[in-house]
Amino acid sequence: MDILKKKNGIVPIVITPPSSLELPDFRELWEYRGLFFFLIRRDIKLRFQQTVIGFLWVVLQPLIQMLIFYVILGVLINVPTNGIPYPIFFLSAFVVWQFFTQVVNNSAFSLVGNISVIIKSYFPRLALPLSTIANALIDFGVSFLVLQVFLLIDKNYPITYRYLLLPVLLVITIIFSSGVGLLFGALMVVFRDTKNLLNFILMMWMYVTPIMYPITIAPEKYRILFYFNPLTSLVDAYRWVFLGQGDLPRISFLSISILIATLIWFSGAIAFRAMENKIADVM
Amino acid sequence: MSQLAINAVNVWKEYRIRHTLGGSQSSFKAVLNAPFNWMLRRSEEYPHLQKSEPFFALKGVSFEIEHGESVGLIGRNGSGKSTLLKILSRITRPSEGRITIYQQVNALLEVGTGFNAELSGRENIYLNGSFLGMKTSEIRQKFDEIVAFSEVEQFIDMPVKYYSSGMFVRLAFSVAVHLTPEILLLDEVLSVGDAGFQHKSMEKMRELLGSGATIILVSHNAQAIRDICKRAIWLDKGVIQRDGSSSVVEEEYRKFLEEPIS
Repeated sequence: MDILKKKNGIVPIVITPPSSLELPDFRELWEYRGLFFFLIRRDIKLRFQQTVIGFLWVVLQPLIQMLIFYVILGVLINVPTNGIPYPIFFLSAFVVWQFFTQVVNNSAFSLVGNISVIIKSYFPRLALPLSTIANALIDFGVSFLVLQVFLLIDKNYPITYRYLLLPVLLVITIIFSSGVGLLFGALMVVFRDTKNLLNFILMMWMYVTPIMYPITIAPEKYRILFYFNPLTSLVDAYRWVFLGQGDLPRISFLSISILIATLIWFSGAIAFRAMENKIADVM
Repeated sequence: MSQLAINAVNVWKEYRIRHTLGGSQSSFKAVLNAPFNWMLRRSEEYPHLQKSEPFFALKGVSFEIEHGESVGLIGRNGSGKSTLLKILSRITRPSEGRITIYQQVNALLEVGTGFNAELSGRENIYLNGSFLGMKTSEIRQKFDEIVAFSEVEQFIDMPVKYYSSGMFVRLAFSVAVHLTPEILLLDEVLSVGDAGFQHKSMEKMRELLGSGATIILVSHNAQAIRDICKRAIWLDKGVIQRDGSSSVVEEEYRKFLEEPIS
């Protein structure tokens, strides 16, 4: 390969047929960091420019969702929440769920939604789904603040050393959500019904994750089943941080979560890569 | 001695022509699709359309292009010239073969890639520049020049949806014109805009060539090919028919077109 190297340091571009197993090129992604930045800015601008009350939506969304579930499950059905006020109980898990669905949805549509630039220019396609994470982080931050306001009003849940774990949890959440999103993004290219399938899966997924109800309402011997869903342990960990409920997540649990999230991300990235090689021919 | 800029060896591109609705050929999809087939009634209604046929857009194309050359790709619609340009621009990958590009390459397949009507002129310059492969620092450095060239200074912070179509094209084009590639891949972009603009872009092209850039141009415009390109490659049905001096190849291509279609 040394013969190929040019004097001015440009490594030659070699174009070959795609192979089925290609890993993302992180060095190239870094070279395109400018594009990342402008994609993020575009998405944020478009989002807040086209709506009448703009930013207020982001605040209202968790509040309205919370209100609905509060009335139905908290007041009418009176789901036991281990003494935790329902709004706080719900919001402490909803922040995670909201982030997850946003990243999955946005990543899933990123190839199909940007087809006009994909067929006319070259750039690492992975920049499209990854740049959508920023937008979801904004919502996460806002919902987090809304939750903090409720916690402040309640006075029983002060900020403690437990919050030190929050960045770790957030990293796991980002990697896991992005990985699932990439898988669906790849699926969307070959299988148009993915759009409908995705809505359905996300709805089901929300119901099987203990967000609006505590896992304790399930009979003890079945609880283990909930933990096949990686989000269950994540939600548990977030509730531990915010509400001090349950035990400190063990290091072994955290390492396994990171491992699983990373594995899912790489399988998502490989599937995505395989489909990005196809998309210009398919669409 | 002249250096190699692009080396293409035995490039093939196969497309699957599918008669089914959407989707691709993978077995993955077939598995996922199976439960839905009854809903869409694909198999019942179109049993004869289930198979996909291969279509070869390029059949073993090989060529070498040297540093500073200007090459025109000509041929009828469906001859494979756009496919070849797409492969060189890395928008799609070949099915077989190998292409090595030894210099920094920019592709200009349309004017205003990624332009968004809701964003301001300024934001569109940065976004479009990034899509074309410019570094942020490079765009920033050339920003004033780009704006001046486009003649839309007063409106630069206004959403481009309020621009006239002329302003829109001028802005988009002036970003493209400020690319400083070593290799420039162009697809019919020259046909954009009025005569004055086409003249301006021709000038720009000559300037690039003068600075030693390599240009590959796909065009139906014989005049443009002869004016800019010294060399032409004529493709037909995915095979190189002639490769040589642009005036000679252009002449032979014209004769071929005048013949009754075989």
